Amino acid sequence: MTLFLLNVLLALAWTALTGELTATNMVIGFLLGYGTLWMARRADAPSGYFKKARQVIKFAFFFLWELLKANLRVTYDILTPRHRMRPAIIAVPLDAKTDMEISFLANLITLTPGTLSLEVSNDRRVLFIHAMYVTDADQFRRDIKRGLEQRLLEVLR
Amino acid sequence: MSELTLTSAVVLSFLSVAFFLAFVRLLRGPTLPDRVVALDLIAVVGIGFVSAYAIASDQSILLNVASVMALIGFLGTVAFAYYLRRKA
Amino acid sequence: MQDAVCAALMIAGTFFMVVGGVGVIRFPDLYMRVSSSTKASTLGAGFILLSLAFHFNELGTTMRAVATITFLVVTGPVSAHLISRAAYGIGVRLWEGTIRDELRGRYNPDTNVVESVELESNEDERPQAP
Repeated sequence: MTLFLLNVLLALAWTALTGELTATNMVIGFLLGYGTLWMARRADAPSGYFKKARQVIKFAFFFLWELLKANLRVTYDILTPRHRMRPAIIAVPLDAKTDMEISFLANLITLTPGTLSLEVSNDRRVLFIHAMYVTDADQFRRDIKRGLEQRLLEVLR
Repeated sequence: MSELTLTSAVVLSFLSVAFFLAFVRLLRGPTLPDRVVALDLIAVVGIGFVSAYAIASDQSILLNVASVMALIGFLGTVAFAYYLRRKA
Repeated sequence: MQDAVCAALMIAGTFFMVVGGVGVIRFPDLYMRVSSSTKASTLGAGFILLSLAFHFNELGTTMRAVATITFLVVTGPVSAHLISRAAYGIGVRLWEGTIRDELRGRYNPDTNVVESVELESNEDERPQAP
């Protein structure tokens, strides 16, 4: 956390020194600051910041890739005359326990085109998902759990 | 600059098509939630409209309108969802 | 260069919006329409706002555009979830081609209680919600 604040400070310093207050400059400053902090890190007292940053970036790319794939599939289905979807409502058991984990997972699932989180059971153990392309319910459950949920929990925990 | 103006004109006309499609769904229904979804889409297309127009007319102040439309569209949908639940 | 990026982003956003509109017309039931509309349009508005940020390239405008995009991305799923849940609650029908409904019979519209399901990966003990 301290390192993150330092990184923001370095970004501000870069923006101030270049004298142009634009978003591009801020981003460049942030990246340079990250590099500086990475080079100046101490080997004897490892910080979680760099690991977390890498995990977050990896997850972001994974999610964007999934988003793109799902988007292309739904777009293709919308624009071609035949409907090829096989929609279903699937119950997925949750490993996410806290409110934040569950709401993050549900929101990311809804954000991916073609899947929509409908309900969470009252004891918070099952998430009901409406999905547009289900060939096999168990396969779908496994995809969600292994793919999105596992990676999300890795980042959040 | 003129290419961008041309692009904006094309974009605005295609956005009208999206607007029209959402409007057809709003009229056709068949259920109330369908209409709410259509209204939500209309609000989002409106955001696109205002942003594209901001680019076309080179007025960044219009971005505020887009932000407010995003806020109001969300509030409207939430209110409708609560209303549907209450009514049931 | 900047204008080209700006135009490309704007066209991409418009494409997604039109696709969302066509999906709202063509998809056969509410749940799929929600899927199509909210996502295509969130993505569409996101691209157009990004194009706007590129066009003006000032810190204030970019920040506001990014804030609006963030707001849209956060609230899009929430409103989609709320409206489809309310629709399921009042009994809006699924498309007849729907192959499976594991929520059927587990939701009680009078008490708003959703029962959970026993599935094999639920094996470890969890604290029960009050």
